Amino acid sequence: MSAPERHVVIVPCSGIGKTYGTVSREAAYEVTEDLRPGSTRLVALSLLVLGDDEARAAVATNPTVTIDGCKLGCAEKMVRESGGGVSRNFAVLDVYRRHRDLKPDGIAELNEGGLQLAHALADEVAAAVDDLAAGFEAVHHA
Amino acid sequence: MPELPQRKVGIVACSGEELAEGTVTRLAALRVLHELRPSETVTICLPLFLAGGEGDRAFARFYPTIAVDGCGKRCAARATEQLSGMPAASVVVSDLVSEAGLGRPEGARRLGANGQQAVAITADRIAGLVDELLGGQWSRRAGSFVGLEPAAPSEDAPQAGCACGSAVPMQTVDVDGRAVPLAALPLIFEQFRGAGKAPGPEVTEELLQTVRIYNDVPVGTDEAYLAALAHEYAAFCSDQKGRP
Repeated sequence: MSAPERHVVIVPCSGIGKTYGTVSREAAYEVTEDLRPGSTRLVALSLLVLGDDEARAAVATNPTVTIDGCKLGCAEKMVRESGGGVSRNFAVLDVYRRHRDLKPDGIAELNEGGLQLAHALADEVAAAVDDLAAGFEAVHHA
Repeated sequence: MPELPQRKVGIVACSGEELAEGTVTRLAALRVLHELRPSETVTICLPLFLAGGEGDRAFARFYPTIAVDGCGKRCAARATEQLSGMPAASVVVSDLVSEAGLGRPEGARRLGANGQQAVAITADRIAGLVDELLGGQWSRRAGSFVGLEPAAPSEDAPQAGCACGSAVPMQTVDVDGRAVPLAALPLIFEQFRGAGKAPGPEVTEELLQTVRIYNDVPVGTDEAYLAALAHEYAAFCSDQKGRP
């Protein structure tokens, strides 16, 4: 019998009012659609807020990476409240501190700086995904 | 029963990142907040009902709120009802899309043509509901319209409410030796003082009735709350003496 397929779950901030929330979401899409589509899965924060069974099971049974847009840390808090562990948490502001030249602007649509910042963040998240997914391989070959 | 003026309508979008319809909710809400009704609306991120503070959880008890959902799971409407207060109205994008005969939106990350059309009709529906809510008299206590008297006009400069700045003002008071945070109390005090209501037993009773609209006052604690409110309101009025 084959083991159930595992993914690294990506949970971005669902912020609606600030640029950093949009950067977190764009980075999550880049990881799950472009960089690591085979090994990741996006879970919407709204499902965790409501207590959706499938979303709760996803974060409870898979390594989870959260991406927060502000210091309130909704994504990280909600995953923990939902019974999941947070394997890695990324804060957009921390990434921006490392890339001061990429000043994000815009909410509905990011400016070029915001898109590049999201790209830099996505690269960091993808590296974390690789580390976590390596654990799947180790278990698979054991 | 007195209620605070309804100056703004709250919008809570599901923002579901997994579905294009979730993106529609977010972009439609932003269009209303930034373009269609910037002076009349405010928003909050849905997760703040759990991850935030009491002021965040008081959002839908304070603002008549429109829940905007992408799909039939209705995360925004149900979570708002469970965690904050009964939404005054609810919009579901998948229903609006069916009614309009549009194709299903595609592209959660970048909406296609159908998605953009869905944003337009959803934003228009929300804006219409905002007008209805501000034109009618929405009772936060009853969760329904109680009349059609016009609401007080907004004196605020036109600006869209930011997600993180929408928490209802709180004030912590000492109730029988316990620190109790009360939603909207600073605004209630301002309104009462502005109406020329001097501290006294009758006004304190009225204060308690208003506090109950936005806060849970446990059974059997009225006397303790009355004492706390009498003390705090007297202090507030004393502090405000000499101010316009």
